[in-house]
Amino acid sequence: MKKHLAKFVAGLTVAAFAALSMPTASGAATTLRIWADADRKASVEKVAGAWGKKNGVTVTVVQKDFGKIRDDLKTVDVATAPDVIVGAHDWVGELAANGSVIPLTVSKSVAAKIPSYSLDAFSYANAKGNKVLYGAPVALENVGLVVNTKVAKVPTSFDDMVSQALAFQKKATGNFGLVIPGGDAYHNYPLFSGLCGYVFGKDAKGNLNSSDVGVGNAKLLDNASQIDSWNKSGLLSSKVDYGIAKNAFLAGKAAFWVTGPWEKDTLDKSGLKVQIVQMPKNKCDSVPFLGVQGFMVTKFAKTHGVESQARDLVGSYMMSAGAQTQLSSENGRAPANTDAAAKITDPLLKQFAAAGKGGVPMPNIPEMSSVWGDLGTAWTNVFKGADATPAKSAFRTAGKNIVAKIG
Amino acid sequence: MTQAAQYRPSLLARVISLFSGVGGLLVKLLLLCVLNGITGWAIIVLFTQDRIAWALGTIAVLGLIDFIYLVPNRFLPAKFIIPGSVLLIAYLIVPIFFTINTAFQEYSTGHVLTKAEAIDTNIEQNVVQGDRFFQMTPARDASGELVLVLVDDTSGQTYLGRQSGLEEIDSTTVSVDDFGDVLPPAGFTALVGDELFAIDAELAAFEVPLDNGGVIRTEGLSGAYDSVPGFEYDASSDSLIAADSGVAYRDNGRGSFTSADGEELVVGWREYIGFENFTSVITNPLVRQPFLRAFVWTIGFAGSTVLLSFAIGLFLAKVIDKPNFRGKKLYRSMLVIPYAIPGFLSLLVFKGLLNDDYGLINKLLPFDPPWLFDPWWARLSVILVSVWLTTPYFLLVCMGALQSIPAELVEAARVDGAGRWQVFRKVTLPLLLVVVTPLLIASFAYNFNNFNNVYLLTGGGPSTDDQAVAGATDILISYTYKLAFESGKGQDYGLASAISVYIFFIVAAMSASGFLRSKALENMK
Repeated sequence: MKKHLAKFVAGLTVAAFAALSMPTASGAATTLRIWADADRKASVEKVAGAWGKKNGVTVTVVQKDFGKIRDDLKTVDVATAPDVIVGAHDWVGELAANGSVIPLTVSKSVAAKIPSYSLDAFSYANAKGNKVLYGAPVALENVGLVVNTKVAKVPTSFDDMVSQALAFQKKATGNFGLVIPGGDAYHNYPLFSGLCGYVFGKDAKGNLNSSDVGVGNAKLLDNASQIDSWNKSGLLSSKVDYGIAKNAFLAGKAAFWVTGPWEKDTLDKSGLKVQIVQMPKNKCDSVPFLGVQGFMVTKFAKTHGVESQARDLVGSYMMSAGAQTQLSSENGRAPANTDAAAKITDPLLKQFAAAGKGGVPMPNIPEMSSVWGDLGTAWTNVFKGADATPAKSAFRTAGKNIVAKIG
Repeated sequence: MTQAAQYRPSLLARVISLFSGVGGLLVKLLLLCVLNGITGWAIIVLFTQDRIAWALGTIAVLGLIDFIYLVPNRFLPAKFIIPGSVLLIAYLIVPIFFTINTAFQEYSTGHVLTKAEAIDTNIEQNVVQGDRFFQMTPARDASGELVLVLVDDTSGQTYLGRQSGLEEIDSTTVSVDDFGDVLPPAGFTALVGDELFAIDAELAAFEVPLDNGGVIRTEGLSGAYDSVPGFEYDASSDSLIAADSGVAYRDNGRGSFTSADGEELVVGWREYIGFENFTSVITNPLVRQPFLRAFVWTIGFAGSTVLLSFAIGLFLAKVIDKPNFRGKKLYRSMLVIPYAIPGFLSLLVFKGLLNDDYGLINKLLPFDPPWLFDPWWARLSVILVSVWLTTPYFLLVCMGALQSIPAELVEAARVDGAGRWQVFRKVTLPLLLVVVTPLLIASFAYNFNNFNNVYLLTGGGPSTDDQAVAGATDILISYTYKLAFESGKGQDYGLASAISVYIFFIVAAMSASGFLRSKALENMK
């Protein structure tokens, strides 16, 4: 009796787990898996799908939150891991140090069509100090100074911008002159660079040097009194957050707004007459941070036996003008490829791209994670109104803290 | 007798009876089969991922379970103990084991691979590229051997690349079509479509040796470039040797290759480093400096949140508990609402409400407290919002506990001439505390690590005058998050685990002393 029972159980068990293990057995790799965010999924599907059709490869695009792509890559199971990811250039240092993405080589003819700063943005220095490329840049984004041309003129100088802003602010209560999200190191970067601040310096080979932190540099500290005067005159306040800034500008109650192309659709629909320019030069050029997005080949492409295919997709196809034109038209960012960039017709997108001229790619070395918090705190503290910290001491302390955190 | 005929077993008893007799046996077997099936599938997956130890462990546990349930009546107690024990091990012991294990490792940005992977990755990242790039088509010659047909993209010179070496060929035999694809000479067939897919790994690893000691490697399906290796691994000295300078980068025992003058290679690996993470918490001035302040504030935050919400919850419970209170149910459900809304939402809503200039609260108040911008006001905001979130919990608990206090005791006290307040203080509260103290302790431990409340409301800020890493409202856990994930090179899992071990001991010590006290309360009964 007991023996029969045992046999019965064993039989049923085998049947059950044979059924359950079916999907793993059929998961052999003849496909290329791409992780992309919601905004880009459709366009990537289309563009990579066209490549796949030509090469006889099935492309699967898996949708992930943008930030999750970077996080999940650390813990993902080999069986479901992506071969190619969409990502931001400032992940490159961390991903390269973790060995999660593999180096690429591009021909000179391909490289000639991609601006060198965006290739550099996707590169990370190796032990010899040579730049190693880890991704194909496809889209550029940066903030610009959005001018509501109904209430303000495109400023001719930095002082002109400040005086126009203050004049508009005084016109009516509830008016804002210039709105920038408070305590946000990214959106405030044009102010920071305009006062000759920088985050990391470069070494002799042009690579970012994490021991040269420019957050509290002497030039910036000399110019810091300007920040105090903006606080005093009420030009800027750290109590203005992203939502307040956006709502004020869209309601026509702000003369100038610092924002990027992700608000292009909102601006188009707002009915406001706007023009986007780079913030006028202050003591130094008021350049924004540049963000570059692109495709990278992961180490899993090797384990899945699709390395050459993935390199072909990322290293040559995605760099081409045709692919980038299509990607750009679908997700509203300026393409990296210069031929594709020349074809942009959307006026606002063109203006945003022009506002990024001379911009600084966000540092892509992992040490950057020590910077955001302290630099943001400094911006919060200097625009606190009556009990604001003097800018000189706020930025000096921030610089010191960052150096200590990098260690 | 009629009584016996009318006897109907309870629902529980009927459920239990399902597991006896033939029907019960079938149910048992069915459940066991489902368990075996799912676990068997998991074992297969574990084996395919080379996690042999885990797979064998799972097999052993599964065998044990099958044995216990199939052999009738000999292991009766085990049948009841095993499900709980398995869950305890899976959800409590294993995570604790992993945390402690990680605390002894260098496991951070740049230290996530195994050593073998790190060696390969360093070699790969340091390949020195030559200045030649080729258009390439993989092809097979008459004998079926894989050959690269190469066109130099500057000089236009054409080559055949084999594993034996590079051979220059007449450039008129090779043409490039409109798409930029290289068409191989006669006698060679270009590989396309599925054929390319089939040789993917072979193609990626294909190297054409050159006379200068370098190689031509493929790049994707249509490119190739010349290169020389930058590093070579020397197994005898366990070091990476730079090909040009001969500098040796040795294993420094802490998950990195370092040269004699201290230069460290970017890619390292996970390595056990003993107590270093634990000592660095103590020696690091960034940690030490604001630690005491953050520690005191954590206790203040957790303590005042728990005491205030308990006091308010008890008060409201007493008020609602009155027998002649009208609209009791309505009030009760209204008061529980903060508990029902996801904390994430309420915290973000409060962040907006408390905005200094534009928030609703300051618009309604006659004066403008700087809720989130002044250190002390921000601390007050964090406590108030936490109290708002926690009070409903204590309201529910107290309402239940008040019911359980025998009415006779209160009546007796009243008869003996005690006033309302005296009854509450001398009778109700002590009896209530016997029930509620363990919950107070649990709530304290929970708030001690209440990362969400602090991080979503104030982000730990505003900064104090010294702008230290820990802001005014940073509790230990949010502050260590900043240390482990927002400084240095980003993620430092080893350090984070070491700190969680410390925090565990702190919370455990405080809870233990609390429980000892609550035992004293119980003895009072």
